[in-house]
Amino acid sequence: MDFINHFGERIWAGQTGHFFILLSFISALLAFVAFVLSKNNREYLQLARWSYHVHGFSVLGIAGTLFYMLFNHFFEYQYVYQHSNTEMNMKYILSCFWEGQEGSFLLWTFWNVVLGWLLRRQLKNGEWEAPVMSMVSLVQVFLASMLLGVYVFGYKIGSNPFLLLREHSDFNKLPFLQIPDYLSKIDGRGLNPLLMNYWMTIHPPTLFLGFASVMVPFAFSLAALWNKKYSEWQAIALPWTYFGVLVLGVGILMGGAWAYEALSFGGFWAWDPVENSSLVPWMVLVAAAHTMIINKNKGGSLFTTHFLTITAFLLVLYSTFLTRSGVLGNASVHAFTDLGMTGQLLLYLLSFVFLSVMFLIRDILFRTSYIVLSLLMLGFAAVYEYQIITLIIWFCASAIITIISYTLYFPKEKEEEQVYSREFWMFLGSLLLILSAMIITYFTSVPVINKLFGTAYAPPKVPVYNVWIIPFAILILFFVAAAQFLKYKKTNSKDFLKRISYTFILALIFGTVASIPLYFLNDFAGLESGEKWNAISYSLLLIVSLFAVLANADYWLVVLKGKLAKSGASIAHMGFALLIIGALISTSKKVVLSKNTSTRKVSGLGKEYDDNKSILLARGDTLPMGPYFATFSGKRKIGMDVFFDVDYFTKTKSGAYEPLFRLSPKVQDNPRMGKAPDPDTKHYLNRDLYTHVTYAILEIDTISEKSNAYASAKNFVGHVGDTIFSSNSIIRIDSLFSNLSEQEYEKNDSILIVTAVLRCVDVKNRVFYARPKFVIQNNIIIPKEDEVEELGLKLVFWKINPENGSIEITLSEKISNNRDFIVMEAYVFPYINILWLGCLVMAFGTFIAIMERLRKQKRLQ
Amino acid sequence: MKKLHIIGLVVIAVAIAVILVSLRNTSTYANFTEAMANPDREYHVVGKLDKTQPQVYEPKINPDEFRFVLSDNSGLSKQVVLHKSKPQDFDKSEQIVLIGQMQGDEFHANDILMKCPSKYNEAGNQVN
Repeated sequence: MDFINHFGERIWAGQTGHFFILLSFISALLAFVAFVLSKNNREYLQLARWSYHVHGFSVLGIAGTLFYMLFNHFFEYQYVYQHSNTEMNMKYILSCFWEGQEGSFLLWTFWNVVLGWLLRRQLKNGEWEAPVMSMVSLVQVFLASMLLGVYVFGYKIGSNPFLLLREHSDFNKLPFLQIPDYLSKIDGRGLNPLLMNYWMTIHPPTLFLGFASVMVPFAFSLAALWNKKYSEWQAIALPWTYFGVLVLGVGILMGGAWAYEALSFGGFWAWDPVENSSLVPWMVLVAAAHTMIINKNKGGSLFTTHFLTITAFLLVLYSTFLTRSGVLGNASVHAFTDLGMTGQLLLYLLSFVFLSVMFLIRDILFRTSYIVLSLLMLGFAAVYEYQIITLIIWFCASAIITIISYTLYFPKEKEEEQVYSREFWMFLGSLLLILSAMIITYFTSVPVINKLFGTAYAPPKVPVYNVWIIPFAILILFFVAAAQFLKYKKTNSKDFLKRISYTFILALIFGTVASIPLYFLNDFAGLESGEKWNAISYSLLLIVSLFAVLANADYWLVVLKGKLAKSGASIAHMGFALLIIGALISTSKKVVLSKNTSTRKVSGLGKEYDDNKSILLARGDTLPMGPYFATFSGKRKIGMDVFFDVDYFTKTKSGAYEPLFRLSPKVQDNPRMGKAPDPDTKHYLNRDLYTHVTYAILEIDTISEKSNAYASAKNFVGHVGDTIFSSNSIIRIDSLFSNLSEQEYEKNDSILIVTAVLRCVDVKNRVFYARPKFVIQNNIIIPKEDEVEELGLKLVFWKINPENGSIEITLSEKISNNRDFIVMEAYVFPYINILWLGCLVMAFGTFIAIMERLRKQKRLQ
Repeated sequence: MKKLHIIGLVVIAVAIAVILVSLRNTSTYANFTEAMANPDREYHVVGKLDKTQPQVYEPKINPDEFRFVLSDNSGLSKQVVLHKSKPQDFDKSEQIVLIGQMQGDEFHANDILMKCPSKYNEAGNQVN
């Protein structure tokens, strides 16, 4: 291949990109070293700042080069070839950018650069600049290394997005690369059809901005440990933490909105590892924000705050490891493909665990022994085979050292906590949040546990998560509702209980009244015990969420007298409670409209299967579907997309069908990526009708559907009792009877007539009989066919195999039988808009809280 | 700080309870032989589509029933009844994970996960 003189390749573009990658890595490293040095020697500060600037601009350079290549279709490059093509709509070019691992790392790096710039401006010349920026630069060193794509001692470090196709080990065998002017002949493979959605252009940047903002409190936390000032940093870091809570939370819910609109798993949340691994850092960050507030108002919670801000960041790294290393394997449908960076990602995670534990230790001797111990274990793991055991031991050692550091170095509260105090309730709420985050992490980590301990546990399914998380949600929402009415330090319990009792009783009444029709009227006594428990826990969650909405509204409007600036927390909490109500009702009361009317059930075998969620719509038929009547009216092909038009009607009193609306769920028939269904949803204020096609014939055929002719026959071999499937019925060979006994036939060579009695049951459970005859006259076989006019079937009984007693029958169907059809699922999600409303309210409340914190900071200065 | 200590103990107890209870009930990856030994338990069976055996999907009769034969990782083939519609691109799947349990000689699955050929391993033929 080396001898082929390729032409048309724009080598300069890749070289420019790679130059920026190297520059960004080296400058980040330089910035890190210089910031570390400048902590004690301010002469290095200028060098550090300039290095960081160079790093920032080179990251912009990488992104710009990649964009330029995508826009101009430089298909000689692997990343462009793999993630885009000329056919696609250019509005999705952003999605191409971050479809691959390298692009999404780049997106993350980009946001870190931006946040780093903002931080540097905020902290300029202060005591926090050097230590905080050291941490930011160190994170950037690791992130920039993910794009390096160089080999050191045979290990691949990073994956370079600027490789030519013919340089890339997965592609360099492609036959067209043998052609010198291949470039003029190829097109890219294009974007995954699931990502061609407007949510995909805003969800990843929001989510990665969220991930990036988790870094800020982490950097402050380590800087504080380094400066040995455990509490002053929190006032500066708090607005940043709120910012992270806001952006990450919105990013996660945008992902939910995308899943709801573009994916076909039928809902906005599936407890998928990829979703969980962004939810868990958010939960920990929320807990950290609350312990920061405790610290600000009352002092204490120092260790907890450090621990949580560090853990939130480590969890972001852990989720990066989970979703990008291939360790999830079969557990997730939408993890990234493994780029062979498992080792590097693990090293990244372990380095920051190590760094965090190291900073927790104040004593020099102790710290040195931890460093030596870690290095020894790293060496041991590299040389011997016991990596997993070494890793576990090292983790345990680090955990023990963390506990020791807590007892040795952190100031302890002298007085006993007051039960009726805001800080105690906030602490309990945070603790519950962390506990649920731990449970979710544990469930999500099942594939990792399998790897570590050689077990074969399957990842838990959605109901397992729900059963475990709902009790925690109930308790958390109780604290969300009540905690604000307590004062810091000590509150009179009688006043407090009286104050919250109004809204509590109101919520109890409303919640109970709403729960009865929702969860208890439909044959509660007939439910299994697990489902009974679900019904009870759902209604408890509904009551306590209502309590949280009302109590926070009460606090906002009555206690704070509706002052917007001070009400960030109340509004955000109200939004959170609304979000839970929307999620609860829309999920637990999701109704399957597309019940199939199949007469053949396999559930009789002992276990019930929910094989009752798809409906078959033959073209032109109008079938009842919940309150609607649905007709599959036709299909259209636009580009790669095949749209299936389904019209919905209602029946008027006179019995006429009145058209309501049309939904056109589509299936993209992508020759490279396969078939991807894309749902279509009708939105009402109080419910959504969500439909997607699960099975359909995508070819647009032109056969006349009115044809009365028979299609070619199919042959069946079988015995009495066997069944034959036609397109519209099940045909059972009921019995055979003959006009003559065997002896009579042997003696007499007159006519033998064997009649097959075929029982045909159609979809509507109507029964028809066909009686084709097998006739032998003078040793000549003359089959006598029979037809079932109503079903358009023709059956010919033409052979008996004497050796095994089987018979052969041919079946022909009228062409008009094979009408086009689709198999569809349709669901109603009631009150799902409460969920989105809650999301907006929560974001708005958090935004107000950030503004208020910033205003307070300004006033202090 | 006594109260916090009690809370700490409760947290640890809950954590241990979660680990023990969930491990007891959780489904495991297995092959057909193990699933047959324990017909009441749910398993995740990993395998490949046996392309020599017929697939039956008759949506006009039951759109939520799809029958095919899966050959598990130990090479044992069993009839599978999937209680869902036939997935798109089923025939292209490289690897299949079925979630369900044995009933008699058939494996009844509620759910299916498929791994389709990775974009990387296509054998070429890309020149348009």
